[in-house]
Amino acid sequence: MATRQVESKGLKADALGFVSSVVIGVASTAPGYSLAAVLALVVVAVGVQAPAVLILAFLPMLFIAASYYYMNRADPDCGTTFSWVTRAMGPWAGWIGGWAIIVADVIVMANLAQIAGLYGFLLFDWQSAADSTLAVTFVGVIWIAVMTAICVIGIELSARTQVGLLGAEVITLALFAFIALYKVYSGDALDGSVKPELSWFSPFAINSTDGLVAGLLVAVFIYWGWDSTVCVNEETTDSGSTPGKAAIASTIILVGIYVLVATAAVAFAGAEAIANDESGDTLGLLGAEVLGTPWDKIVIIAVLTSAAASTQTTILPTARTSLSMARAKAMPERLGVIHPRYLTPHVSTILMGIFSVLWYVGLTLISENILYDSIAALGLMIAFYYGITGFACAIYYRRELLKSAKNFVLVGVAPVLGGLILLYVLVKSIIDLSKPANSESGDSWLGVGPPLVIGVGLMLFGVVLMFIWYSQGHREFFRRKPEVADPGSLEAPPPAQPAETAGVA
Amino acid sequence: MAGPLLVGYDGTPGAQAAAAEALALAADLGADVVFAFAYWTNPQGGDVADMLAALRELGEGHLRDAQALAERAGVTARGELVSQAPSTGLVALADQHDARMIVVGSYGQPPLKGALVGSTAHKLVHLSERPVLVVRAR
Repeated sequence: MATRQVESKGLKADALGFVSSVVIGVASTAPGYSLAAVLALVVVAVGVQAPAVLILAFLPMLFIAASYYYMNRADPDCGTTFSWVTRAMGPWAGWIGGWAIIVADVIVMANLAQIAGLYGFLLFDWQSAADSTLAVTFVGVIWIAVMTAICVIGIELSARTQVGLLGAEVITLALFAFIALYKVYSGDALDGSVKPELSWFSPFAINSTDGLVAGLLVAVFIYWGWDSTVCVNEETTDSGSTPGKAAIASTIILVGIYVLVATAAVAFAGAEAIANDESGDTLGLLGAEVLGTPWDKIVIIAVLTSAAASTQTTILPTARTSLSMARAKAMPERLGVIHPRYLTPHVSTILMGIFSVLWYVGLTLISENILYDSIAALGLMIAFYYGITGFACAIYYRRELLKSAKNFVLVGVAPVLGGLILLYVLVKSIIDLSKPANSESGDSWLGVGPPLVIGVGLMLFGVVLMFIWYSQGHREFFRRKPEVADPGSLEAPPPAQPAETAGVA
Repeated sequence: MAGPLLVGYDGTPGAQAAAAEALALAADLGADVVFAFAYWTNPQGGDVADMLAALRELGEGHLRDAQALAERAGVTARGELVSQAPSTGLVALADQHDARMIVVGSYGQPPLKGALVGSTAHKLVHLSERPVLVVRAR
């Protein structure tokens, strides 16, 4: 029986419109959850210059987005660091890039779980439970289990539901910011409140390099996920104009929301009050002060829905990365198994859930301030795999770069610059984090901060696993040679999507 | 001549029951059967291509099995892979083939669980303008 392609008529996979594309771009970045997790951390790093760091940190992400856009042309349908780096730099680098994605996912689940536990208790005003590490961890573990189950079953929100949820989230954050700013000018804000100044938005006003790097590392995390706009947009309805416009619109919304909320929070409470807040729920506390009860609950709900939506954009691609690796014979075949009924990569997903619980509970036992420490470790992973993707783009297209000024700037300079900035942030952070005093918890483990030990330890563990896999005779993957882009591939129109329907006759 | 019976087939016990019922019906009616495997994945971020390729391979295997069932039953059948969510995909495919009815399996799960994990049969009953035959897994 032969397989044949059937003319595609009216069976096109659900294409995305402009609004859906913008929503996916913003929702993938989960602004509510990101702000809840890092607002205090950015303020600790650079004080009132928090808005400036958020603007500045977007630059490397923009540069890396260029590499996502162009690598996506080589591998249509959204590849990831694993497939792209393997293509450009060979199997060893690709394997480590894929491993970094998996590790980042495991770490972010712990962070999401922590936020979910904390804000879940705050929603019901149960302060004593929110203060209890045991209670928050317990709810956090349940959260991971539920989110894993949702991803295994493949429950997904419809585009319309996502538009509604994200709309509510953005409106809530904007409302919070405007009311906070109004109270600053009417004199109803907290004691330490300050009126915003133009210098808050100027990166040149930041006088500490350490603070800048710490701020950038955190901000790399805050924009994590934005790159999916660039990829998803390839398959939008009107690929001629929608992709660019949707990416630009989601960028403006995202940067705007971050800068607005950061400015409002700092102005309302003062940088010192935010930096000294040890509770880990800055946004929740400020929400209560700004909006008053019970209206502050909408901020908490916005953070919780944002954290939930964020799992879709972390677990999903990661389970696919290990599926990709399994299919490339770079990982055990089991990881590529698809559930017969739910049609999801359930083995990968469940394994990821188990590792996340182990990491979350483990880090909670070791380090007291897991929320902040895990973000430092997470930033390292994201900086690593975004950075390596930037270099991969320039290497893959190296013979095309000198063909036009546009190629040189967009495919060469921008990705490499993004890669270099992230490499710098990575190295500088490793040095900074190696001093226990610089970790949020101040704990010392083998003489260095726990997030670094575990973060770097997990990467080295990956290298060990890779060699074990190699030594067990899985040479087919490791024999792959780096490829170079076909001559003229950047001048040609983007490759057509694979046929929508393929019949088996 | 009336159109074929369109069977949603994913190899699960429900789908096998649906296939058996549809083949028996088709033999009685002298109709053809079209087996369809619908698959869809969220486009949000990362390695969508490999996921879709894995799903396609899975679907091709199921459609070959279904074809073998049809041959044994002496019914003319063909397979179609549909890259769309199952419910809307089956409705669109039924229109394309001017199918006489859509046949799908059901797990006999309680409605609440069906609402939670998503029930293609349930969605189809409401979406399709053509008759829908739901066959429960044995």
